[in-house]
Amino acid sequence: MSTHHHHHEDFLFKYIFSTDHKMISKQFLITGFLMGFIGMVMSTLFRLQLGWPGESFWLVDALMGSWAEDGVMAPDKYLSLVTMHGTIMVFFLLTAGLSGTFSNLLIPLQIGARDMASGFLNMLSYWFFFVSSVIMLISLGVEGGAASAGWTIYPPLSALPQAIPGSGLGMTLWLVSMAIFIVSSLLGSLNYIVTILNLRTKGMSMTRLPLTIWAFLLTAIIGVLSFPVLLSAALLLVFDRSFGTSFFLSDIYIGGQVLEHSGGSPILFEHLFWFLGHPEVYIVLLPALGITSEIISTMSRKPIFGYRAMIGSMLAIAFLSFIVWGHHMFVTGMNPFLGAVFTFTTLLIAIPSAVKVFNYLTTLWKGNIVYSPAALFSIGLVSTFISGGVTGLVLGDSALDINVHDTYFVVGHFHIVMGLSAIFGMFAGVYHWFPKLFGRMMNNKLGNVHFWITIVSAYGVFFPMHFLGLAGVPRRYYTNSNFPLFDNMVDINELVSTFAIIAAVGQLLFMFNFIYSALRGPKAPMNPWRANSLEWTAPVEHIHGNWYGDIPEVHRWAYDYSKVDESGEYIGGEDFIPQTVPLAENEHDGGGH
Amino acid sequence: MTTITVDNINSRAELKRKTAKPLLWIGIMSIVMFFGGWTSAVIVSKGSISDWLSIHLPNAFYVSSVIIVLSSIFFHLGYLAIKKDQKKTLFIFVLLTLLSGFGFVISQYLGWKTLYENGIVATGSSSTNASSYLYLITFFHVLHLLAGLISLIVVSVKSKKERYSSSNFLGVELSLIYWHFLGALWIYLFIFLKYIA
Ligand code: HEM
Ligand SMILES: [Cu+2]
Repeated sequence: MSTHHHHHEDFLFKYIFSTDHKMISKQFLITGFLMGFIGMVMSTLFRLQLGWPGESFWLVDALMGSWAEDGVMAPDKYLSLVTMHGTIMVFFLLTAGLSGTFSNLLIPLQIGARDMASGFLNMLSYWFFFVSSVIMLISLGVEGGAASAGWTIYPPLSALPQAIPGSGLGMTLWLVSMAIFIVSSLLGSLNYIVTILNLRTKGMSMTRLPLTIWAFLLTAIIGVLSFPVLLSAALLLVFDRSFGTSFFLSDIYIGGQVLEHSGGSPILFEHLFWFLGHPEVYIVLLPALGITSEIISTMSRKPIFGYRAMIGSMLAIAFLSFIVWGHHMFVTGMNPFLGAVFTFTTLLIAIPSAVKVFNYLTTLWKGNIVYSPAALFSIGLVSTFISGGVTGLVLGDSALDINVHDTYFVVGHFHIVMGLSAIFGMFAGVYHWFPKLFGRMMNNKLGNVHFWITIVSAYGVFFPMHFLGLAGVPRRYYTNSNFPLFDNMVDINELVSTFAIIAAVGQLLFMFNFIYSALRGPKAPMNPWRANSLEWTAPVEHIHGNWYGDIPEVHRWAYDYSKVDESGEYIGGEDFIPQTVPLAENEHDGGGH
Repeated sequence: MTTITVDNINSRAELKRKTAKPLLWIGIMSIVMFFGGWTSAVIVSKGSISDWLSIHLPNAFYVSSVIIVLSSIFFHLGYLAIKKDQKKTLFIFVLLTLLSGFGFVISQYLGWKTLYENGIVATGSSSTNASSYLYLITFFHVLHLLAGLISLIVVSVKSKKERYSSSNFLGVELSLIYWHFLGALWIYLFIFLKYIA
């Protein structure tokens, strides 16, 4: 009997309340992907409405029931779906899902640590995330529907429970869920930072760290500095909603009635929100950039070009991300001088971004490229980072932004530069580190097909949106067919929606590959990609403490690929030299030692 | 099952020694950003409202400032004592700190009471933005202080049982850092509320 009891406990602490970073990583990955799947289905539903407004769809009927009479979704439910889609994609999939998975998996394994600084806080971080996910999903089913004020939850829609149906209980649950989410994110980030700074193995100096780790470190620092500000804004909102304060409200008439609120300003909320909101796009993006730096170097069999410039540009991006938030607010009546300042700081970000792109391309240049799915998705990221960055220049310039603010131009821009880049980075990471996560290999052929379907249809969805935006089509509108002005936009909308359906169906391929490979895929060798970093010296099976015996020592940076001696021979006879191999006499360490 | 030698991290104590302080410091950074968000909000609100009413801080808040500085001094003396292995002295000073901590909370309460009696309220139609901020900011500072009080209670129980010594006082140090931080935060908020808000 006692053994049975023991077994039970084992299961509970191994799979549920695990404090092991590798298990927590998988928990984040699976929860994040489930949320992402729901977010994607939502986008398919509202793309059906946008492509063929007012038409009845079996799928819409089946999934939305009474919210879609006769298979046509109700206008307020459209707003709920868009809001939840944005919230889920940005926070649940690409913040918690992305950072939670890869920071957890890779930080201890790549720096040579037994585990995170605090396994307990790490476990709490996951469970707070889980609870916030559940609450967010529950909010879909409450009276009035889920929050509908957009993922940016601007007041007054978010501050007055009586404003629109989604402003009631749905909005309250959104705030509760996000408050818990922020706690989760802070606990995670605390751990990532302290682990990286304090638990590196012998020889692992900061300039020998893989770029993944630098990216996770800066992401966590940005998180710790910006999420508390969102929390402070959310609390003010809670007080306005429920306790009769007027931080964001003033002079409001609703249904002919004057509200008591006076003295507040909704613009204040925008300041507080975007002080988090802009850094948030880098919280989403930087891990993807770190992941692809690593993969591009490994798969080109070349050292990463400009290692220190990569670190420097990430530092610059992290710093600048805190002083550009005003570019979301050019149309708020902002003083034009202040607008010019924000334009200037925003355009400055182009410099470190261009440095990164240049370094990616130079690393790939004349490389001996292995076109694995991970490599393809990484190269895909370079593509989307460029094409989304270019429209960023347009939006960063106040004089230009004012013309396309809140149009589909913006939707096209941020989906490409943040949505696609980050999700490509995440896919690349999953394909690359799947052997570390599950001890098995994914199917490369299916992966390649998945990549081509995804990149073609993703551009098919988001590229034409720029034209819709330039023609003036506003975002967050339930239908465009009621405006004669947009009658000749119908074809573009149908095209976009068609690609959206193809994209969504294409992801089923990935899901199949993921689940099948996790259960039945071929067993992974220890170092399938012939890579240098430390995680590939750890045993394939997951053991507590990561390495049998001693933790390996590090003697060089992580990018010694195709390194030759004077006679032109590969040093060590292979085109890669793991970080654990001591430097030969007179050999120079690429990390700069 | 294979056993693994956990060599580089010799024990939990070693891990804690290496990471507890940085964890606390970074946590403190995020609390700073939290209050930074609110004090910046005050500045933005003040800038956008023409008839912003400045509020005279109640006398009790001045008393609060004195108490919290005293409490920090007490705690620091206790910390210096345990470094010299004076376990009884540590206990006395921690107790004094704890008592002044409660004194701080009481003085805050008295301050809110004075405000309330003068018709300065936190919410509702007769509240203003200035009054709402004042209550909210001071109240959330006290909430953070409660965490500090809990840690002080733990430290005082443990020091009564003489669990700390000159070679083992990490717990005292952690609690001390946080307590000093709360004091500094209060002084900042006090100056901010008095001169800027
Ligand atoms: C499956 C592919 C996706 C499709 C077809 C899609 C489609 C859309 C569309 C059409 C809108 C705008 C609706 C409107 O303004 O009325 C939208 C909004 C949004 N999407 Fe996506 N999206 C997809 C994936 C993503 C991803 C990966 C992200 C992650 C960043 C994302 C983040 C957002 C955000 C933040 C909004 C704004 C929500 C709001 O207005 O509050 N989407 N999406
Ligand atoms: Cu921005």
